[in-house]
Amino acid sequence: MKKWSLLLSATLLISALTACGANDENEAGASKSASPSASGSAAASESASPSADAQKPVKLKIYAQYSDDDTKLPYDYAVAELKKAMPNVEMELDIQAQDDGQKLKTYAAMGTLPDIFQANLDIINTFKNSNNILQLDEYVDKLGFKDKMYPSTMNTLVTEDGHSYAFPYAGNEVGLLFYNKEIFAANNVQEPKTYADLLAAVKTFKAAGVTPLSMFAKEKWPAVVLYDMFVTRTEPEGILKLDRGEAKASDPAYKQAAEQVVELVKAGLLPKGATSMNYDQAAALFREGKAAMFINGQWEIEDSTKALGDKLGYLYIPASDEAAYEAAKYNFSGGGGPSGYAVSSHAENKEVAAEVAAFLSEKYAEFKYTQRGTPIVATKVDLPVQKEFPPTMKQLSEDIPNMKTTAFAWGLGNAKFKAAIEDASQSLLTGAYSADRFASDVDKAIEQSK
Amino acid sequence: MNKYLGNKTAILLFILPALLLYSVVVFYPMLQVFFRSLFDWDGLTPGTFIGLGNYTRLFDDSLFHTSVYNGIVFALVITVAQIAIGTVLAFAVAEAGVRGRKFVRISVFIPVVLSITVVCQLWMAMYNPEYGLINRVFELLGISYRQDWISGSKTAIYALAAVNAWQYMGYHFALLLAAVKSVPEHYMEAARIDGASKFKAHLRITIPLMAETYKFCLIFAITGGLNAFANMYIMTGGGPGTSSYTLTYMMYRSAFRVGEYGYGSASAAFLVIECLIVTLLINRFIARQRIVY
Repeated sequence: MKKWSLLLSATLLISALTACGANDENEAGASKSASPSASGSAAASESASPSADAQKPVKLKIYAQYSDDDTKLPYDYAVAELKKAMPNVEMELDIQAQDDGQKLKTYAAMGTLPDIFQANLDIINTFKNSNNILQLDEYVDKLGFKDKMYPSTMNTLVTEDGHSYAFPYAGNEVGLLFYNKEIFAANNVQEPKTYADLLAAVKTFKAAGVTPLSMFAKEKWPAVVLYDMFVTRTEPEGILKLDRGEAKASDPAYKQAAEQVVELVKAGLLPKGATSMNYDQAAALFREGKAAMFINGQWEIEDSTKALGDKLGYLYIPASDEAAYEAAKYNFSGGGGPSGYAVSSHAENKEVAAEVAAFLSEKYAEFKYTQRGTPIVATKVDLPVQKEFPPTMKQLSEDIPNMKTTAFAWGLGNAKFKAAIEDASQSLLTGAYSADRFASDVDKAIEQSK
Repeated sequence: MNKYLGNKTAILLFILPALLLYSVVVFYPMLQVFFRSLFDWDGLTPGTFIGLGNYTRLFDDSLFHTSVYNGIVFALVITVAQIAIGTVLAFAVAEAGVRGRKFVRISVFIPVVLSITVVCQLWMAMYNPEYGLINRVFELLGISYRQDWISGSKTAIYALAAVNAWQYMGYHFALLLAAVKSVPEHYMEAARIDGASKFKAHLRITIPLMAETYKFCLIFAITGGLNAFANMYIMTGGGPGTSSYTLTYMMYRSAFRVGEYGYGSASAAFLVIECLIVTLLINRFIARQRIVY
């Protein structure tokens, strides 16, 4: 029996070692094939010219958002336009999962990245380190992509290292504090300009049985937007400075913002169960006139206009006094970062893939601008607008030239800080988490990521 | 039987497929977890060897302390609820004179076969502080104890544990019922003839004879509790803030949200060791000898 136990143990060990050995080979293979993008560039220059490529049938795999009208319609439009411009290119869509980039990272680890994929700053940074993303500078110049962009959206194309890794379509989207004008008027509440006004407004709404602010804080990023809105009253770069390690959460501007959020929450700012409330529940409260204010990105305008019409507006964030309010009026939370359609450095047809990625980005933006009523796109659009901007969007488009933005949580480059600020900002909404603890937890994450 | 046990080739042949599957799907990944926990690794690059650096950081991380604490609370709540209530129900259903036995047997087991997502959605609606069933019941009874169940940083972990306890109680109930029924009748008859009450007879005879089943239930409930993930992932996202994090959730956050696969592996390795210690302790102290009726 002892002999047989020995044999079984040996089998187990051998199978484990065999698997280990196979992995080493895989890793070696991966590091061989994952040589820097220089090899990609070389391969690109060795390959046939674009005109010759244009004749060959090419099948490209793309990993992109395709879940609702806001993502399906622009994608379908862009692909239909591609069919006209590059009939030899066939696109195979792999629908992007809402999973913090896990599926894409798994593809990268397995060496099966799609030719084109949607990338945000986190993906760009991670894939840059592991040589999975193609540096697109050469194609940006060749395709004249910079000339097609608004000067104000250049931050969405170029990363901190001065290179481009994705062709952007979205401009600097912003987080807004929407409000229902009718509820404000019914409760004799003026648009608050100072923090004291806002606090008084919250108390008035609470006393009248109206939810002051509806938030889908089960998702953590809206909590970050709320906190960042108060930071931007005194620090225009908001959480971006923390992300870059240029400021601390214990600095006065940042700590005061946390204290203000806690004070407002304790005064009854949020409905019960806000941190377990999803988008549908929170949006319903606002659209049905049960909540006076609502936080979301500007993409909310279309749906809320349908529900509320002219009653919908957005507030400039109150500051310590009226002078500070006027000075910081156009400091918005949110904003864009380097993101868009990126190309895998392992793509077989890099040149065609880069060309297609740029084309899709441009057309995606074109559809959003002309038919989805959003002026916030990265590239210039010459076509006439087919769908008029709603009034709130008109106000926003007038604000865009003066606007200073920060970043949404998903646009932060420091993943450790991102996770910490998301958790800490959501904790602030419970009212049982102090500003001091917030500062200490966030500072610890900033320190660790240095 | 001895004929088959004597045939070593047959034993090897039958064990080999399961052994290979176990090696590839469980044993090898577990080795990898321990190995990778020694690296500063983002999951894509080869990584840098840092020895026990991840573990030193882990023990200094307040999130780790919260996660371990929550894991223990979760495990305790579900173990006590599932085994205690499961035992009472098992004895009740095993009793011939109790009416509605079939109904109880089926209804207690139904949640086990439901999808965890469905169960979580159901309980999220029940926990809703404004219109949820639980607060409404308190309201109807005129009790002012209305809670923000899963949005309260202190109540969230208990509320989540209650959901898990409810869902998997049927599993323990089924095991315990089978154990109750497998205890030979004549032990009970002898005890009753000697004048023992039914309660005393169960306490002194049936329950000790069920020790092996209890051992299995304890291991299953405690390690299941320490490993908890799905309930917090679906219902709270670990929140509010980090108040319903467990080690598994911390591993998920470190690896998939922050991209620190090495650090995530360290918390997973700690979890494996924690579960192993619990299993060893239970094996050491409960039903040490095989019970034969």
